[in-house]
Amino acid sequence: MSKQKKSIWEKLEDLPREVLYGILLIAFIIPMLNPFGFPVPITPEVRKWYDTIQALPTGSAIALDMGYSGGGEPEIGPFAVAVFHHIFRKGGLKTVCWATSNEGPLLFDKAMAEVNPDRYGAKYGVDYIMLGYFAGTETAMAALGKSIRGLTTTDYKRTPLDQYSIMQGINDATNFKLVICYTTGQDQSEGYVRQWVTAYKTPYLSNVLALMIPAMLPYARSGQAVSVTSGAQAGQMESLVKVPARGIASADVMTMTEIFVSVYVIIGNIAYFARRASKKKASGG
Amino acid sequence: MAMDLASVSSIWIAALFTIWAFSFVFRDNAWFKFAEHVYVGTAAGNGIVYGIDNVTRYGWAPFMKGSMYYIVLFLLGIVLYARYHKKYFWLSRIPIAIMVGTGIGLSMRSTVTSEFIAQIQSTAGMKILGVDPLTAFNNLLFLIILLCCIYFFIFTFPSMHTGGKWYISRIARYAMMAAFGYTFANGFLSRVTMIFGRFDFLKSSWLPLPGAMVALPISLILVIYAMLPAEKRPWPKAAPAK
Repeated sequence: MSKQKKSIWEKLEDLPREVLYGILLIAFIIPMLNPFGFPVPITPEVRKWYDTIQALPTGSAIALDMGYSGGGEPEIGPFAVAVFHHIFRKGGLKTVCWATSNEGPLLFDKAMAEVNPDRYGAKYGVDYIMLGYFAGTETAMAALGKSIRGLTTTDYKRTPLDQYSIMQGINDATNFKLVICYTTGQDQSEGYVRQWVTAYKTPYLSNVLALMIPAMLPYARSGQAVSVTSGAQAGQMESLVKVPARGIASADVMTMTEIFVSVYVIIGNIAYFARRASKKKASGG
Repeated sequence: MAMDLASVSSIWIAALFTIWAFSFVFRDNAWFKFAEHVYVGTAAGNGIVYGIDNVTRYGWAPFMKGSMYYIVLFLLGIVLYARYHKKYFWLSRIPIAIMVGTGIGLSMRSTVTSEFIAQIQSTAGMKILGVDPLTAFNNLLFLIILLCCIYFFIFTFPSMHTGGKWYISRIARYAMMAAFGYTFANGFLSRVTMIFGRFDFLKSSWLPLPGAMVALPISLILVIYAMLPAEKRPWPKAAPAK
């Protein structure tokens, strides 16, 4: 059987995935080893997120759901860490954390190890606390909004909540000035709109995977969420709180890889139209 | 800063599993399979531990403190496992029905407000006049696309999509394709950030450890070797076909 010779366009369209991944790997490694220092402009939604926390009066309580999974940590984690820096640096806020993802408490410990709250003078049980993982996602959100002590009387270390000064006067959604949710799941990010925003009018900040942004934007546009950001915007938050870390370091890599993909999409389209034109020409059309 | 043995070993394990997991993008191999199975097993184990912890923390503890009605919940939980019994499998439908009913009831209590009324209110409140030209243009474009997309999904009257009105569906289709493109781009960005997170971990946490610079090429060579077709490998030979 004679093998038909492939045109350059066909070869480009049928490029093996190993080659593509290889080029992508190079686009990753070069800016990682030799950062270009591309600017990280602050977008309005990240600015709004920052301003919302900044505007909280001293003594305000924040409900914070560490609802992301280990798989999503590389994206969501840097943003969560930057926000913890902001909260602890501002001071005077009570951050009551819980998790609607079963990996949440472990990721909370990881984030705290990165943030090191001691350097801001923040103390566990006084300025922040982790209540643990609550199963049931939206059911748990509704139950927490109604009564925290109805769901648990201890924190994730099994210490009674009443032994912590932070929990004095805090028991339901009406005691919180803000609810923050970091999540890799759509049901969690939308769940707070239904169970906290609609039910208790609690202002809501949502940080999700970049691929979940299109589904969450309507809530931001309608004002149900004060701000919806993606973990990929961690660099912007790090710039605002002036703690450069993983987010800023990823900016160059993201730019390089996005350029690579854009170029490949353009080449793919040119190849498609060129192939179609050559087929038309061959058939005498 | 000196690190304890637990931290060092966890970094080594995480680094090697990262390399093995990523090796799949080039070709399936034994190291990837090993990493995949360990991950699934660990995730299942973690889930079981949290499941038991949930039962003891939120069920058993209040029960022991005298909340006797928890016995009903325990019974419902046990009945869930009736699905594995050939004769009494139907009993498992009772707790499932309660869970589904509770879930739907909870979400429905505010779904209409949050996802229907609030969205319509927000759209109705969009201004075209009395705002800056760019906002006016954006809002106008939004409204045109919204109306066209609603029109696109009216399937009851096929005549609405024929004749001279084809362009409405065409606008809707292009707008939706643009939205899918936006979703794809965001999805790609998400994956890039995740990959960066792991590469950054390798670069910042693993490679500075003693021995890591030697282990990196060795582990890469082993992974590449495992990617070779079985017949081209001197060892181990492929299992004979049955």
